Amino acid sequence: MKCVIEGKNAKVFGRAVHALSRVGDELWLDPTVKGLALRSVNSAQSAYACFIFSPLFFQQYSFMGCVPKQSSKTVKCKLLMKSLLPLFRCLTSIERNVERCQISVSASSDWVIIQFFCRHGITKTHNLRFQEKEALQAEFASHLCTNVLKAPARLLGDMVVHFPVFQEEITLSATPLRFSLRNYEESGESQVKMMYTEMSLHPEEFEYFHVDVNSEITFCLKELRGFLSFTESHCLPVSVHFDSAGKPVCFSVEDVLFEASVVLATLMESKSTDSIQPVGTQVHATSRCVDAAALRVHACEGHGETGRERITSSQGSTVSPHPDPIPPLPQTQQANKESISVNTSPASSMVCTLLFKALSSEQDDNVCAATPPVLAGYSDEEMMEEFCPKSPSL
Amino acid sequence: MPLSTQSQDDEEHYVLVASLDNARNLSNILKAITFKDHAVFTATPNGLKVTVEDSKCLQANAFIQTEIFQEFTLKEDLVTFQINLTVLLDCLNIFGGNAVAGTSTALRMCYKGYGYPLTLFLEEGGVVTVCKINTQEPEEPMDFEFCSTNVTNKVILQSESLKEAFSELDMTSDVLQITMSPSQPYFRLSTFGNSGNAHYDYSKDSDMMELFQCTMTQTNRYKMSLLKPSTKALALSCKVSVRTDNRGLLSQQYLVRNDDGQICFLEFYCCPDEEVEEE
Repeated sequence: MKCVIEGKNAKVFGRAVHALSRVGDELWLDPTVKGLALRSVNSAQSAYACFIFSPLFFQQYSFMGCVPKQSSKTVKCKLLMKSLLPLFRCLTSIERNVERCQISVSASSDWVIIQFFCRHGITKTHNLRFQEKEALQAEFASHLCTNVLKAPARLLGDMVVHFPVFQEEITLSATPLRFSLRNYEESGESQVKMMYTEMSLHPEEFEYFHVDVNSEITFCLKELRGFLSFTESHCLPVSVHFDSAGKPVCFSVEDVLFEASVVLATLMESKSTDSIQPVGTQVHATSRCVDAAALRVHACEGHGETGRERITSSQGSTVSPHPDPIPPLPQTQQANKESISVNTSPASSMVCTLLFKALSSEQDDNVCAATPPVLAGYSDEEMMEEFCPKSPSL
Repeated sequence: MPLSTQSQDDEEHYVLVASLDNARNLSNILKAITFKDHAVFTATPNGLKVTVEDSKCLQANAFIQTEIFQEFTLKEDLVTFQINLTVLLDCLNIFGGNAVAGTSTALRMCYKGYGYPLTLFLEEGGVVTVCKINTQEPEEPMDFEFCSTNVTNKVILQSESLKEAFSELDMTSDVLQITMSPSQPYFRLSTFGNSGNAHYDYSKDSDMMELFQCTMTQTNRYKMSLLKPSTKALALSCKVSVRTDNRGLLSQQYLVRNDDGQICFLEFYCCPDEEVEEE
């Protein structure tokens, strides 16, 4: 893969890296025919972000192996955020000095080579070690969401700025007549010492406001802030797709040159944390958002070689970079089924499981052996069907 | 003026008297070489030289020429002593380190000779402070025998470009590798850190490159910990000259303009890292 980014776009690319660094510690690089996808997920699997830069964004873009003799398989890789972020740390310096930025990944070596061709005849070359890894993708059918909003640029950013920096979660509440954001605190904490902040908006403030089902969703603010910093700097309207509590919320923007989205898990309706913990769950994230339904995020092969959910949105914003319809292959569903543990919790708690697993290559028959441990393994089959009608056997 | 009310006796006994209307013209320069506690002061008719060394591998020299001082009286050809540099800087900044517009600390530095303390008379806004700092037997500064005839490669760069590079350097790298060559990559700084390696290349045609005289391709590695002290000097300077000799010894010279626009020099010598692996 080789791409060249012209000066002023290098800053946009750097901003995307900054936004992704607010989500996770690793960055997945996925060159595809549709463009270069940058993705990250947080350790609790409660936040996933994806930036796809179309070929138009680049001065030059070739995603196949550069040498004809090499296999036509593109290299997908994972980089440590702490290796990549320093290169784009000072955006003003990039804006001032960088004339061209070249990124190349060679299948034959372990390096991602990022070169900055700067003013005054200075060239900065960074060779970063990467780990070859299948691409990361969240399964989220935004077109199935009952509630869709489109906020003008800056509206959401102007709202979240009112919450203190240490505020971990916020609650978004939407009815057909009203939209509000307020801070969220775990019940049981001292009510006296807290400061409550709530902001309401009339639907007319939005470019598009469609709320079918009243809903109140609570999600982590930190990852959203990073995303909103990016969108504000480009003055793009932000689309919000959401459902009821427990189902993920997706914030996305679209432009001729790129698409960006962040999918956040939301807290489940049951307030008691005990009933939320399913049997056998390994929960090791420190963030409170671990109580939220973990996102269904999985790694997948590229270009239709193995099954993957197609995620498109009828509203036009999309999470999937792949336009090709790809029906899920039987082994995918089988693998998913294997990792779903049996429901032993009381039927009254509304819990929706979303799984994280990596799909191995299609040559590997024993898919189970390749799967990492499931982080949240409780499912309600009915809920799954409702959520993802394309995979009824799940 | 309070500083001149000393007894005439003392005046005759001082072997060194140096005065500055603005003590920052001395303290700012000295801050750039305070990586060790002790420094050797050497006064000659040319001016004042302050030397700091570290583990026999690194030497820094600050040169403040006679012309910088409002008064510079030397009764002997060479006056030298060792002193605690941290204490000296604390005294020079005794009226507060921050520069207040319109005010400056005046300094009169006096030394009676071997065995005597260094006496500082500092005045600001009519308040006078007298400091006496003990001096020690000066250690002979290392002579790296770096002479112009042995210089193989030399470049002079505008500091601005190097400042940025040094601020971005991967600090997880133990060494900084400097490559100088008459052919590509001309002048290259390389690091080898935990996540990978990085190279900063300066073309010989760069408009940041004021002078480019490289005769042979040389690659040398220097411990990052030994180069870190020079970043303070880089921050103060407007130009830097980088030279290596046939042994790979690195000489960096920094041109610094003080508050009054006068020129002072800072010089660093650094030994190459012995375990050089050819790439």
